[in-house]
Amino acid sequence: MSGMSEKDRLEILKDILFTDDREDIDKIADRIEFLEQAYNDREKFAKRVDPIIENRLDEFTKKMPHTLGPTITATLKKEIQNHKDEVVDALYPVLGKMVKKYVAQEIKVLSEKIDNQLSFISAWKRRIRAFFGGSKEKELLLRDLASEKIEQVLLIERDSGLLKASFSRTDTIDEEMISGMLTAIKTFVEDAFHQKNQDLELIEYELYNIHIQSFVNYYVAVVISGSYSLKTKNRVQDIIFNFYHNFMEMNLDLIYTSRHLEHPVDTLSSSLIEKKLAEYFGNAKI
Amino acid sequence: MQKSKKIVILGHFGVGKTSLIRRFVNDSFSDNYKVTIGVHITKKIVEVRADESISLIIWDLEGTDEVRMIRDAYLLGSHGVVFVFDVSRPSTFQGLSQDLEIVAGKTQGIPLIVVGNKIDLVINDELQSLLKENDIEANYLTSAKTGDAVNEMFTYLATILNDLS
Repeated sequence: MSGMSEKDRLEILKDILFTDDREDIDKIADRIEFLEQAYNDREKFAKRVDPIIENRLDEFTKKMPHTLGPTITATLKKEIQNHKDEVVDALYPVLGKMVKKYVAQEIKVLSEKIDNQLSFISAWKRRIRAFFGGSKEKELLLRDLASEKIEQVLLIERDSGLLKASFSRTDTIDEEMISGMLTAIKTFVEDAFHQKNQDLELIEYELYNIHIQSFVNYYVAVVISGSYSLKTKNRVQDIIFNFYHNFMEMNLDLIYTSRHLEHPVDTLSSSLIEKKLAEYFGNAKI
Repeated sequence: MQKSKKIVILGHFGVGKTSLIRRFVNDSFSDNYKVTIGVHITKKIVEVRADESISLIIWDLEGTDEVRMIRDAYLLGSHGVVFVFDVSRPSTFQGLSQDLEIVAGKTQGIPLIVVGNKIDLVINDELQSLLKENDIEANYLTSAKTGDAVNEMFTYLATILNDLS
């Protein structure tokens, strides 16, 4: 040992003291090499990582209602609160259709039951009317079955009562004044009964019925001649909902934008709406 | 389709709201239902400039001595208001500033025109002192009977509404 330099002695001392560490370093080096291989080999890497990710995803999915749920709910609530009209307008035709179809189905079942009970009575009633009224039973039967027809359609701004567009088979008195009066009557009825969330749906006069379907910003009034049955009502509602859903609704963002501009821009041209009204209602069979 | 604007005519009972409208519009509708639902609607196309006209849909609301009682729903979507008082009947203008405040609150920033009607019933000097005494600033002084300033008043409002849109 005496012939060894100080440097050699230090090296021997290091060997003695760091034997364990060197082994550890070698192990780490091997491990890094293995990881490098695993990382570079996509398949090996996927084999190791996929189960972990899948496990985490499962956990995340299970926990999501508790972790993100309140945030999503709060955001949705806020959005709905801020854009109530747009949300309602977008949902109205869809929900209306669903509710209407369910109710119509139930009524149909009930109606069929009642019809079965009443058809016998109606036939006798008609015979008695024919006997005392002097008309032929056949004529009365035809009158009872008088076909219904859409005579006029008005698309009216709900608050102001201003006419947005119209479709008419015949010339009538000024449609803008009719729109105003219809709105006044509708407003009066709804206001008088303090039913803010309920709308006037039908006005009857002699051979005509005015079917009214309200949306958030507009309402549609359809003048129908002939008998107005539940079937007619359902059919008219379907046409209105289709018109509103397919045509008006897609313009809602434009209406919304224009309403919030300092100088609102009317993006829905009346002539275009009138063309669509004629398309939807003109040839409709009710 | 022509540009249309809704205007409402307000004021106490018997100040001449309907007469003003009749003078301005050739009315074809019966106004019997005004008693039933409290409103009568008429329309007049007004030429505001050469080659430019506007359709005024005029809602004539049933008169009430209590302006607060006017149905808010009838005022919805209005573009302009005409408030009429009778210069020959002090009870219709003594509380004018309060009435106008209520109307302004209900109509939120839309043009409001104040009209003193029935000027044919008072002498001009008396009328001026009456307005001064009661601190009234009327935009127009009209007579539905003689037609004084009726067209001008409606055309002025139509022009404002046309320019605003």
